[in-house]
Amino acid sequence: MIRRILFNLMAWTIVLAVAFPLFWMVVTSLKPQSELFRRPPTILPETLTFEHYWQLLSETNFLTYFQNSVVLSVATTLVVVSIATLGAYSIVRFKYWGREGLAFLVLFTYLLPSVVLIIPLYLMLVGLGLSNTITSLVIAYTTFALPYALWLLRSFMAGIPEDLESAALVDGASRMGAFRDVILPQLLPGIISTALFTFILSWNEYLYALVLVNSDNTRPLTTGVMNMLISSFNVEWSLLMAASVMMSVPLIIVFAFLQSYLTRGFGAGGVKG
Amino acid sequence: MADVVFNNVHKKFGDFIAVEGLNLSINEGEFVSLLGPSGCGKTTTLRMLAGLEFPTSGEISIGDRVVNDLPPGKRDIAMVFQSYALYPHMTVEKNIAYPLKKRGVPRAEQGAMIARVADMLQLTPLLSRKPRQLSGGQQQRVALGRALVRDPKVFLLDEPLSNLDAKLRGVMRAELVELHERLGRTMVYVTHDQLEAMTMSDRIAVMYDKTLQQFAPPQEVYREPANRFVAGFIGMPSMNLIDGDLSQAGGRWEFRSGEISVPLRPLVDSAEAGAGCIGVRPEHLVLGEGPISGVVRLVEKTGHENIVVVEIGQGLRLTGRVPASVEWRTGESIQLAIMADAAHVFAAGPTGRRLNTPLGEQRP
Repeated sequence: MIRRILFNLMAWTIVLAVAFPLFWMVVTSLKPQSELFRRPPTILPETLTFEHYWQLLSETNFLTYFQNSVVLSVATTLVVVSIATLGAYSIVRFKYWGREGLAFLVLFTYLLPSVVLIIPLYLMLVGLGLSNTITSLVIAYTTFALPYALWLLRSFMAGIPEDLESAALVDGASRMGAFRDVILPQLLPGIISTALFTFILSWNEYLYALVLVNSDNTRPLTTGVMNMLISSFNVEWSLLMAASVMMSVPLIIVFAFLQSYLTRGFGAGGVKG
Repeated sequence: MADVVFNNVHKKFGDFIAVEGLNLSINEGEFVSLLGPSGCGKTTTLRMLAGLEFPTSGEISIGDRVVNDLPPGKRDIAMVFQSYALYPHMTVEKNIAYPLKKRGVPRAEQGAMIARVADMLQLTPLLSRKPRQLSGGQQQRVALGRALVRDPKVFLLDEPLSNLDAKLRGVMRAELVELHERLGRTMVYVTHDQLEAMTMSDRIAVMYDKTLQQFAPPQEVYREPANRFVAGFIGMPSMNLIDGDLSQAGGRWEFRSGEISVPLRPLVDSAEAGAGCIGVRPEHLVLGEGPISGVVRLVEKTGHENIVVVEIGQGLRLTGRVPASVEWRTGESIQLAIMADAAHVFAAGPTGRRLNTPLGEQRP
């Protein structure tokens, strides 16, 4: 009995510790400026206001950043999932020299901290004439999302019986036909969790965005918001919190719909691969 | 007319040899089983015929076409897999329709073809279900349906019954035989179960250690096994194989091993004296009297007969079968004899060739 109470107490403490900052973020974004620094602080705002949201949307570049982030994350996700799916298919289904070595080499690049790669990558992208473009970020994010995506999809792919594909081939499908008709539908849970992982990663990425992109037209949300609302003299807390809420919304929506796929994906990655 | 021909086919996976020097000629409309223990190359052989593996050397033809370089879809074959390989995301109907769709059969004709197969296999009430909602036997039928719907030239079956329980297996065996008679198509059936091979096939290709050991009708494989491996592999319980020496004196051959001495009928001209082996089916062991003495070690009662294992010294055990009314007890001393005329004689080695033709297989 006491054990159960203690356990529950601990669980709730952890939940509160995680949830409180989120709660505070939402609450702060809804308080008027005058209430922000009041002592003692008000837990629930006395007057609700959406002025910060309105201000963000109408007077700042927020929507441009938002759009950049969406384009960037969707493009990265598409590129990573396409390449990783075909790559995983190749590594699992075809037998060629260096197949396993290649897979481990890819994993090894994932183990490198991404900070290490930032300068060489920056120089390469400048050389390609891509500095300051969204494309440069898509390429950069692909370099560190792809290895993990490949390994995640590899374990999913390995779980699909080879007989299914053989059956499709005997039934008259071409290789690509069998891949499309039989492999892809079976791989869907894996593709969804990989896509989620990649999307979240590119949505939240800060360091590369800071280094590679510094014009207002191409900034994603992470660096855009920081740049706009945090200066050496002042932090626009209420605007910052409103921006944070709006940044989280797409992720929350995506999570809410697809979380069962995501946990399945992590499970698959943990057991095999 | 030969329908499927393997002409000196070899298959290697890297350094591993899977099939070696296979020559096999299957007639049109024939039901042929590829039988052998696991790792003997039978599944690789079937997959090469299907086009899922390509031979390292040699030639495979179906009908009068060499198919070596044709992809599976262009070989006019259908295959049933051990795992059934039903597409999990498609309904039964879509599963059966898939080969039609991939071959561009007009949608209007597909319906009638699916209905015909569904009717034949009693799948009609299941057409809208997904494979995971079906029992093993039903999945098996769907897999068959998908193969049958297109009326291909050759059917390939890869241990299709091994995932079913014993009773259902018996039922499906009979259904497959009936189906073969009705369709009159060439069927190539891979199995490690000799009962399936014996009961269903027109001819059995026994494979062992990457090579074809014997290709003959079931009765012939049983009565005149081509070598020691086939002799030991075919028959339940297995043939008793006794190693010893072959000697010739005054034009008569004799086999000796410890206290066993068996006078042999004439051997083939090329037979040589020296190490050899005789094979005696359990029904050709006379239990209860004879020159050899031993101890009963095990009695298995199958209901209509008893299988008796007798140890006769040097760890050699012989298996005999007696009617259920004859009861031996474990530990009992027993005399026994070998019916010399029915003994098979083989050269030494695991696949030593046969050296004689035994007299009939009458039971004592």
